[in-house]
Amino acid sequence: MSDVTVPTTKRAKKAAEGPYGKIGQAINELDDRLGVAKGGRTFMDKIFPDHWSFMLGEIALYSFVILLVTGIYLTFYYVPSVAHVIYHGSYKPLDGQSVTQAFASTVNISFAVRGGLLMRQMHHWACDIFVGSIVVHMARVFFTGAFRKPRELNWTIGLTLMILAIGNGFLGYSLPDDLVSGTGIRIAYSIMESIPLVGTYLAFFVFGGNFPGTATIPRFFILHVLILPLVIIGLVTAHLFLLVRQKHTQFPGEGKTEKNVVGTPMFPVFMAKTTGFLFIVGGVTALLGAFAQINPIWQFGPYDAARISYAVQPDFYMGFLDGALRIWPSWSFASFGHTIPFEVFVPAVILPGIIFNIAYVWPMLERKFTHDNEIHNLLDRPSQRPKRTAAGVAVLVFISMLFIASSTDLIANFFHLSLNYVLWAMRFLVIVTPFIAYPITYKICKELQGVKGGGKRKTPNVVTRTVEGEYLATPTPSYSEDVMEELHPTPVPIFIEAEPDEPVESGVRTVDR
Amino acid sequence: MISSLARRLPLLLAVGFFTAGPLLLFVGPANALNYTQTTRRNAGTPNSTISVKKDGKVVKYGNKYIIYKAPSSDLDALGEALYMENCASCHGAQANGVPANGTSGAFPDLVGLGPATIDFWVDSGRMPAKDVRAIEAPRRQPALTPNQALAISAWVNSLSPSYPDIPTPNLKNANVAEGAALFALNCAACHTIEGDGDALAFDTFAPSLRHIPAFQVVEAIRTGPANMPRFTGNLSDKEVDDIVQYVTTEIQHPNNPGGFGLGGLGPVAEGFVGLLLGVGILVLICYWIGERS
Repeated sequence: MSDVTVPTTKRAKKAAEGPYGKIGQAINELDDRLGVAKGGRTFMDKIFPDHWSFMLGEIALYSFVILLVTGIYLTFYYVPSVAHVIYHGSYKPLDGQSVTQAFASTVNISFAVRGGLLMRQMHHWACDIFVGSIVVHMARVFFTGAFRKPRELNWTIGLTLMILAIGNGFLGYSLPDDLVSGTGIRIAYSIMESIPLVGTYLAFFVFGGNFPGTATIPRFFILHVLILPLVIIGLVTAHLFLLVRQKHTQFPGEGKTEKNVVGTPMFPVFMAKTTGFLFIVGGVTALLGAFAQINPIWQFGPYDAARISYAVQPDFYMGFLDGALRIWPSWSFASFGHTIPFEVFVPAVILPGIIFNIAYVWPMLERKFTHDNEIHNLLDRPSQRPKRTAAGVAVLVFISMLFIASSTDLIANFFHLSLNYVLWAMRFLVIVTPFIAYPITYKICKELQGVKGGGKRKTPNVVTRTVEGEYLATPTPSYSEDVMEELHPTPVPIFIEAEPDEPVESGVRTVDR
Repeated sequence: MISSLARRLPLLLAVGFFTAGPLLLFVGPANALNYTQTTRRNAGTPNSTISVKKDGKVVKYGNKYIIYKAPSSDLDALGEALYMENCASCHGAQANGVPANGTSGAFPDLVGLGPATIDFWVDSGRMPAKDVRAIEAPRRQPALTPNQALAISAWVNSLSPSYPDIPTPNLKNANVAEGAALFALNCAACHTIEGDGDALAFDTFAPSLRHIPAFQVVEAIRTGPANMPRFTGNLSDKEVDDIVQYVTTEIQHPNNPGGFGLGGLGPVAEGFVGLLLGVGILVLICYWIGERS
């Protein structure tokens, strides 16, 4: 007992705790048992290149976190059953109506559960942001060529994640069993039925019999809250693991090569940014959920095969499918006692199949055409690859036009046009606009290549007035980051073993790949 | 002979049944005139519980849900003058319309349409039409006052008295929940479930219900203006009253507990808000954070 000195003064206590205080002690205790220091140091020293567009994927990641949190809250109150009950709740226009338990519980979440409506609306807005930000992130990856060797696998995983996100969004949208979503399920059933030979069997298998059936909602529920989220979590983990393993790409400039990664370390700079971003995504979702009403199912009422509402669209991420269905001419093939409804099969099965398959094989296609089998860690500027950029823009324009075609009736109503003319206009625009977009984008890219200092920030001129009254414009020197020069990296700090005398600077560093 | 008849008896019976059945339908309305109860079939005509006669003519009828009242015959003179000034150039001095010819479309015959039809078209500002060649005249600021509209309907009706008369729904006896269900079943297919209206095929449209007064909802349901079907047989006065209650409360003044209603455009508006506001703001914030190192 006597050889152990118990620190008495404040200063002595602090000194006994070591340089990193109580947290440092706790980590030391953890390291003694689990050996987390080595891995933790590698992780915290991970260099992440600095560019604002590299954070777009985080919007998707964090909106997914919000989806999980709000979704868990909703599962406490949602009843996945199509058993009929008489609604007697606080929303008077539905009082006494026979509705399914799924619908009644969703209305109750909106009106009776504390915070339920906010959670429902945040969940729905987070879903819209989730799919939207995935598209924006994918566009960044595509136009900068980040999908090239060695990252083809991560492109495939990301694309699968987008399809799963769209699918799970549709399933979740169907769960309240309201008038609008019931119409959506009806269309999904017909799309499945339209597949030649196997369609009827497939639809019966998925829906557990004829539409609407009683199996739909429970099946969709378990897919929506368990199976697809698990697959998404698994694929997100793989996506991020590959990102860490292969290291992030970077834009060329300031000492960046194919062999190094220039950026800020994970801790503290990137950690601070990304944690802050999590809260910002949560905040924006909460603001939307609090102030913008989404999917007011109590106004739509319960689904009933006899009821239908005009001007019904799916959520935006299914819009391109709905638009394709709307504008496709009514061609079908009926012979030998069988009908193949091409007017459903082609726009709703073949077309999305072609679009997604092209996206899947694009990295291979590009390698084949460019004979470029090199490993690329430096990104392209979109203007440097005019053909790829133009093709991407053309496909985006095509999908956007299909998306716009899903609101032909609203366009006709808003601009006081004939619905038939709008329909025909969309048929032409869907085909024509990609062919217009391609050469325009190509030309813009070529022009950008020719601009001196293209891709660099413009520097302002300083205008001075001489004593004689003459005005002179003197250009200021260009930004230091835009000038290609050799970088002098600060050494990578060692947090655990050595104890530096001064606080570690968290500036730009270079490490070898 | 008898045996052949006997053999064919089931067939004869079936033929008799299927020919007499529809005939019975025609007999139905005639009998209904004697009823004092409001049934589905006589809705909107003077066969209801309340009935007031003047000079041998029914001028007010209805029930506790809707009262139909004929416009006063004192307005006839004013109505004729207004008709000649505003309507006669197209519909003719005898209000019997103009058939279609090479240069212009047909202008419909107004005789025998009943006061509610004329009142609806004039009082909702659709007539006198701004563009006579339009497939369907839209609602706009009425050119004539409600009383002038009544006067025109009184004069046109005096040419050949008919029904339905000008309705006044009694919303105290209405059930908004039944109205909501009936609205979804009968109205939402064109006017949309949120009552915003939308474009239909070939330049026709279902108008928005956001600014229609209660009595005009009844007039529209009972007379079926433009493309709208005329709901007489399948909706009783009580059911129409319920629908009117739903339209004038929940459709016209939705509670919107979830925040801004986004114009009732549904997923299209939601998509724009989610993409432009949600993703847009987050991308801008991303730029703001990402450019700081």
